[in-house]
Amino acid sequence: MLITKLKDREEIISFFDLRPFVFKCFGCKEVYFPEEEVDRLIEDNRNKITGIARVDYLCREEFSKVYIEKVSLEIERSGGVVVFSCGVGVQVIAKLLEEKKVLAGCDTYYLNGFQGLSVQDFNCQQCGECYLNYTGGICPITACSKGLLNGPCGGAKNGKCEVNPEMDCGWELIYKRLKKIGKEEILKKKKVLVRDYRRIITEKPVVKE
Amino acid sequence: MSEIDYTKYRLKPESEIRETFKEVSSIFIISCKKCYKEFEIEAEPEYDKLLELLGEERSKISGCAEFDFLCNSYLTKKKLTDLDISNVETIGVISCGIGVQFVAQELEGKRVLTLCDSVPQSGNATSVTGYHGISLGLEKCAGCGQCYLNITGGICPVIDCAKGLLNGPCGGAKNGKCEVDPQVDCAWEKIYLRLKGQGRNLPGEVKLRDYGKFKVDERNRISLFTQTRRMQNFYGGLYPLERKEETENLSIEAFPEPEHVVVFLSQHTGSPAHSLVKPGSMVKMGQKIGESSGLISASIHASISGKVLSIEERIHPSLLKPSLAIIIENDGLNSVDSSVEPVSDLENVSKESLLELLKEKGIVGLGGAMFPTHVKLCPPKPVDTLVVNGCECEPYLSADNRVMIEHPDSILKGIKIVQKILEAKNIIIGVEENKSGAIGKLKGLDSSPDVTVASLKTKYPQGAEKMLVKKLLDRQVPEGGLPLDVGVVVLNVSTILAIYQAIYEGLPLIQRVITISGEGLKRKGNFLIRIGTPIEDIIDLCFDGNREKFLEEYQIKMGGPMMGILQEDLNSAVIKGTTGFTILRKYPVEVSEERECIKCGRCVEVCPMELYPLYYAYYGKKEMWEEALKYNVENCIECGCCDYICSSKINLLSFIKKAKRYAYNKAKG
Repeated sequence: MLITKLKDREEIISFFDLRPFVFKCFGCKEVYFPEEEVDRLIEDNRNKITGIARVDYLCREEFSKVYIEKVSLEIERSGGVVVFSCGVGVQVIAKLLEEKKVLAGCDTYYLNGFQGLSVQDFNCQQCGECYLNYTGGICPITACSKGLLNGPCGGAKNGKCEVNPEMDCGWELIYKRLKKIGKEEILKKKKVLVRDYRRIITEKPVVKE
Repeated sequence: MSEIDYTKYRLKPESEIRETFKEVSSIFIISCKKCYKEFEIEAEPEYDKLLELLGEERSKISGCAEFDFLCNSYLTKKKLTDLDISNVETIGVISCGIGVQFVAQELEGKRVLTLCDSVPQSGNATSVTGYHGISLGLEKCAGCGQCYLNITGGICPVIDCAKGLLNGPCGGAKNGKCEVDPQVDCAWEKIYLRLKGQGRNLPGEVKLRDYGKFKVDERNRISLFTQTRRMQNFYGGLYPLERKEETENLSIEAFPEPEHVVVFLSQHTGSPAHSLVKPGSMVKMGQKIGESSGLISASIHASISGKVLSIEERIHPSLLKPSLAIIIENDGLNSVDSSVEPVSDLENVSKESLLELLKEKGIVGLGGAMFPTHVKLCPPKPVDTLVVNGCECEPYLSADNRVMIEHPDSILKGIKIVQKILEAKNIIIGVEENKSGAIGKLKGLDSSPDVTVASLKTKYPQGAEKMLVKKLLDRQVPEGGLPLDVGVVVLNVSTILAIYQAIYEGLPLIQRVITISGEGLKRKGNFLIRIGTPIEDIIDLCFDGNREKFLEEYQIKMGGPMMGILQEDLNSAVIKGTTGFTILRKYPVEVSEERECIKCGRCVEVCPMELYPLYYAYYGKKEMWEEALKYNVENCIECGCCDYICSSKINLLSFIKKAKRYAYNKAKG
């Protein structure tokens, strides 16, 4: 899941010099979008903007097109468009309003569990060649901070990662899980895995026109 | 426009699957029905493909289970416990990496194998990372935490440049195409052209990317926070903007007396009352003008004194179809009917007489469902707990809140009457914590020890009976059942007040407190209003703007914005179940512009009844109601969460209502 945080106040305030139009996306409704803070910022600069639209799912181009149409006059009069949404929303608006200066009011972060649907403790980097069969269902790419595929780096202390002591060592978790199901010999037998980064290029998702 | 199929996995290559199967003697398959794709077919082809590919070896498969949204930890956990797989040693999972990892964790001790590879999701780019929004569009966001779009004309260099360069092109592009993947445009060339078109320059100075900006701990913290929040009180639900601040501090005031009232004969669950008056009759305030008919029904009373003008059909605000109503013209005298008399010698009145009185006074549930109270309080099963519902979880509404703040003593007296009738041992008043004033007042009451006030975390729809019973008593109302089945009766606080008024003041249900709030109003507030007051009167008093254009630019819902019923006909009127009116500006995109379902799964995540609303729309569009029934539509409480969250703006509730009607007719035969 993508969540947003407002950019620095000074930076946002400088946007108002453009006499912009403002899009506020409350989008997927769980983005912790600080709507009230934005409202206060806008209220303080009310006379500097040409209009404002509160919308949802700005990332869906077909909706954004309709929104833009509805407020086309205000956008035309503006010196730019400020978008408070995740990075996807900003890019969609920028694409649809190619001639306009489109600015992002937020920085975007992601949460664990995305690209699945729910917020979870797991991540999937969609590497295209799943290693979970050799690792007891624990992903070495996301659970190991170094993304190592052939075992622990040796830097873990008391089961904690040397990069971030808050984090469990992914490979220790893998070892324990495999031991539990009596399959730890996999670790000895399997040849070293090498990640094939080319898959990112060769196995792209299907684009339908 | 171009759309991406974001299906997140595909079967592993044949050789790899064969190798996997060589090692195992028996395997149980769990497969996920995918997400973020055009929702066209229900059966996913992977399992069949697997069978085909296995040939003889397919006999090793001991069983198969299909899941919608395998990564939905709560629902999947439940379903996994239901599966009979205790003897299974090896599980094969067809899903993306998240699903596999989740199953492996849940079924620790079993060998969990993946039969799939994820499909790299970088979309229009060559870079590793990138998340799509709730869309099937091409744009991606890396969630880097320091957005560069402001200096790059809205084209993301992190995602769109194969090398993720932040300070300009690498120089390797040929004819505008990337050297890493000649199918892809050079992002920096696109950035240059976009900026040039706008008369802007390429960024001079660039902030380095701070990979440590979004720290792992912080990400984990927010993830945990989100998971906790979502599971708070119950699974699903939402946190819509409450907007209660506009009316929560406004005292209850009397709504101006209407010139005429429209009193519907059907203001309750069950059969409509039949009229006791004729056009031309003179009636007094509180006089019974409709007699209840049948076991589940309620009486109707005149809310003003005056002359009956006609008995005609009007559009019912809740049934939304023509329904008989008695139209009374106000004579302005407010002469009270002789039947309006407090009960004397209350101490010695029997339980039966109290029930008869509530029936006579036309008391029904005021939370919206309008179930006759005398029927509810005469349960066929033993009841040990009375739950008084003061949650009022709908945004904008604060009528119940004001009732609790202004009439706490009456509520307590009302509770005592119900306690006497039900002989319930425990009484819990459940109030959401955003109503601290009401909680304070109720806690301050000098009440007997068996009445407790419970403060609940605010979450929509906490006020739904089943959610409330689960949270307060940890009792699970069975599917298709009532709180009664677990020994609980739930009454709304306003109903309690009506009970108090019926017994202590002899007043039938001819008025109630409602909230009028929303946008474009010159007056908002909590009003004591006569049943039958036309909606027109409300618009006239409260709406600030061109009255002619009201229905064009605004919408009015009876109730709150979530569960409220859209009113098209302003000749309709306030009924007993009216909790308020919410007036909102019409949305920029109309419902008619709904799009195809993209299986984003949000409706499943917010459904507090743990249903799969997407299927109601999927089968509903094809009129395949029989199929829709398989997804337990009768359990739906119509809270509207799915409808609210739908990223394709599909009017899910309308499909649900149709499916329910089909189920109802089917049961009736």
